[in-house]
Amino acid sequence: MNLREQLVEICDLYPDLKLNFHYSFWETDFLRFYQSQINYNISKTSVSLSTTIYQGKKSYSFSLKDPTREKLLEKIEEVLPIIDHLPEDPDFVDLEDDKTRSSEKEKANNIEKVNLDTKIDILQKVADAVRPFDFKIYGTFICNYSTLYIINSNGLNKREISTPIYLECKAVSQKNEVTVLEVYGGENIGTFHEKKFISNLVNKVKAASGEVVDVEAGEYDVILAPRCIGEYFLNLESSMTAGSLDQKQSFFEGKLDTKVFPENVTIIDDPHHPDLINFDYNGDGRIYQKMPIIENGVYKNFIVDNYYGRKLKMERNGADGAALVMKPGGKTLKEMIGSIQKGLYISSLHYMNFINRKETSITGLTRDGTFLIKDGKITKVVNNLRFTEKISDIIKGITDIENEAVTIPFSDNYGEFGIYSAQMPHVKVKGFKISSSTRTV
Amino acid sequence: MKKLVYDIINKLNRNDISYADVRFTNTDEQTIYFEKGVLKYFGSNLDSLALGIRVLADGCWGFAGTTILTNESIDKTIKKAISNAKLGSRFRVEPVEFKKLPAVQDSYFYKPIEDPFLMDDKFKIDFHEQIAKKLVGNEKIVYSYVYTEFYRQYKIYANTEGTMVDSLVYDSMPKMYVLASNGRESMCRNWPGDMNGKRGGFEVIRNVKMEENTDKIIEEAIQLLDAPRIEEERADIIIGGGHLALQLHESVGHATEADRIFGKEISYAGKTFIKPQMLGNFRYGSDLVNIYSDSLNQGGMGYHVVDDEGTPGATVDIVKNGILLDQQTSQETAALLGVKPSSNMLASYADDIPLIRMTNFCLAPGKGSLDDLIKSTENGYYINFTKTWSIDDNRNNFQFTTEIGWKIENGEIKHIVKEPTYYGITPEFWAACNGICGPEEWEFHGTFHCGKGEPGQAMHLSHGVAPARFKNIVCNVKA
Repeated sequence: MNLREQLVEICDLYPDLKLNFHYSFWETDFLRFYQSQINYNISKTSVSLSTTIYQGKKSYSFSLKDPTREKLLEKIEEVLPIIDHLPEDPDFVDLEDDKTRSSEKEKANNIEKVNLDTKIDILQKVADAVRPFDFKIYGTFICNYSTLYIINSNGLNKREISTPIYLECKAVSQKNEVTVLEVYGGENIGTFHEKKFISNLVNKVKAASGEVVDVEAGEYDVILAPRCIGEYFLNLESSMTAGSLDQKQSFFEGKLDTKVFPENVTIIDDPHHPDLINFDYNGDGRIYQKMPIIENGVYKNFIVDNYYGRKLKMERNGADGAALVMKPGGKTLKEMIGSIQKGLYISSLHYMNFINRKETSITGLTRDGTFLIKDGKITKVVNNLRFTEKISDIIKGITDIENEAVTIPFSDNYGEFGIYSAQMPHVKVKGFKISSSTRTV
Repeated sequence: MKKLVYDIINKLNRNDISYADVRFTNTDEQTIYFEKGVLKYFGSNLDSLALGIRVLADGCWGFAGTTILTNESIDKTIKKAISNAKLGSRFRVEPVEFKKLPAVQDSYFYKPIEDPFLMDDKFKIDFHEQIAKKLVGNEKIVYSYVYTEFYRQYKIYANTEGTMVDSLVYDSMPKMYVLASNGRESMCRNWPGDMNGKRGGFEVIRNVKMEENTDKIIEEAIQLLDAPRIEEERADIIIGGGHLALQLHESVGHATEADRIFGKEISYAGKTFIKPQMLGNFRYGSDLVNIYSDSLNQGGMGYHVVDDEGTPGATVDIVKNGILLDQQTSQETAALLGVKPSSNMLASYADDIPLIRMTNFCLAPGKGSLDDLIKSTENGYYINFTKTWSIDDNRNNFQFTTEIGWKIENGEIKHIVKEPTYYGITPEFWAACNGICGPEEWEFHGTFHCGKGEPGQAMHLSHGVAPARFKNIVCNVKA
């Protein structure tokens, strides 16, 4: 009997307790490169079991590395007397009980499919392509493979396999350190178009080879690249959860079914979108399905997990915000840039933190290619800039949306390096507030 | 376990491997979290074992780590580390050079006054519950928490040069937080600040006196709702120790990690504005500014006998009398810069690869008390308790907001201000330092959560600082 089956059996062994298990196997092959050469390749393997035991409304959590049935039973017996002495959480109602199963697809391990030799072959070609412009490549090329089992005393017994590939490649000018970025992320290496990836990066390198200038603080019309508007929405997610309502930190408190943004803004959380990294379940094990978040500017749904859904008596929905899709608009990128007399094109953002989460005020910086737009054309490279702004005001300032959206992968670099994606178009924002220059690129 | 580590080192003592090191860690962690007076999380991760093997072969690093310590898994990990290095050398232009180090054989075992892992759990829960209950009840306080992390790590480090060191350390990190709201806006206060981690056991929790400060933070959070904001374009600011530790961390600590100079961290943490030719001549701050990396001070979380590549602990001047002298380095980057390695290569757990990390990164004290510094300030603000922080890719432009500030007029504190937000350019800001308090105000602040590397690692580290004053700083940035 494998541990998954044993965990189901252990739930039955303790009918007076509620047990919740996250049993995961995770491995990574993680190549980091700099100056068009390897820094190191890391291979890591980890097997762990996170357990929460509820006795009524009292609970205790623990984690075991390399778990076995014997280790787990010993630990449960050890912690039962501790739980007796703990105070209750009056807000706890029950564990997740949604038994709906997704397809739970088998996935071939991309660590084997995209091995170190393959990665090096690809990187060598990218390095060769940018060398004539006196640029070198820096970044990461990652393949993960993980299997997560979510099992609990309410009969949940689910499995999710994930095997994302993530290539983040920065080309850095050896003359002045101007940096541009191209990223690929997905679960099927067949969707990696090497020639397109290289030509995109080379085009950015060409644009970044011009003069570097500075701009004054002030308000600008800007074009936000898909990665940037995606990052703003991802930050805004901290106001979209039921937990944020409970903590009195949600910008959207009292705004459900209210028009908060311009009519052209529609955002859907779509975990089974064919172009995105897919997910079956949220962290509780509830099935994760397509859900509108903002529809024609109207705020439609909170992300409601098991704990806060039950506490706040909101309908649980399994959404996780890990697959945001923004509806494209009607303008081409060229038209959008062409409509700006003096403004900025912002490629990527860096080190954003909320000043006041409820008000959505935030500060952060541009990175990896900021460009001056003059008379409808991208003309020069601009130093990285700081913005201090409310995300809600940025979204309210959207005047045009590009007529096509692209897939943008993001990494969550804590613990087991999660990779997810969003599909976003370019957007044009009026009156974007630049608060200072970094004077560097 | 020492025998296991010896056996692995023996397997790696081969002609085709120019250097290798092996680390084993056994880590215990425990977390207590009360939210709005209620225990929301009590949990532990005990006896968490990990093994990491780093190999230099054919001029290239290879690394493999695992939490599965069966013979089969260990053999696989050894092979993977070697093959990662050898295959990786295909895409290596300059071979990594690694100078031979003297062998060190030693042990270090820290003894906390009160071992949190031997204490009664009920006592720890009751202690925190009493604090948590004091944070609720006021109708304007809409959210609160009390949070403590305990940590103990036993580590064995060995390398193919003959070094074998084992160590045991304890760190603890307490925090409490309240959020006040008047329906229109919300303001928060925490205690003892964000740089709240320290070397030690439960005594760390007692020493920060959370229970004695609950009324103070509730009162201040509520007062902040109606407090004014800073209106002056520029002002002199005195930064309290807790927040200054973060200012030092972000604008000097990370900026002087040598791996950034060579672009090794561009993909995540970023670059640095520092160039190798600046060492020895670049003015980083005023004459008062003396900053050093000190892995020999046992009071901080950055103490070690050797770092995670065998370099003995060291004290290294980074900025002396305002001039940039050195960097935090590894063996490899020290050789590239032509300096002595500073003993800053560390990993969070054994299955993480070591990176250049801050240890005890300190601002040397000046003279006088905080009261003296305030009294000598004609017009300005005393600010503390970090609310938000952000710094650019090159560590040149930063912007910080603290939860609270106090207006100073003619050497006296007048009233509080909400969300003071200041920004600066790193060398200009440190050049504006015109007062640092003395040794009586100097203490360690620290964190468990300094993020760096990919896959991400969270490092425990300390900053020794005393409050300091900076003149004419832009301080009214608003969203």
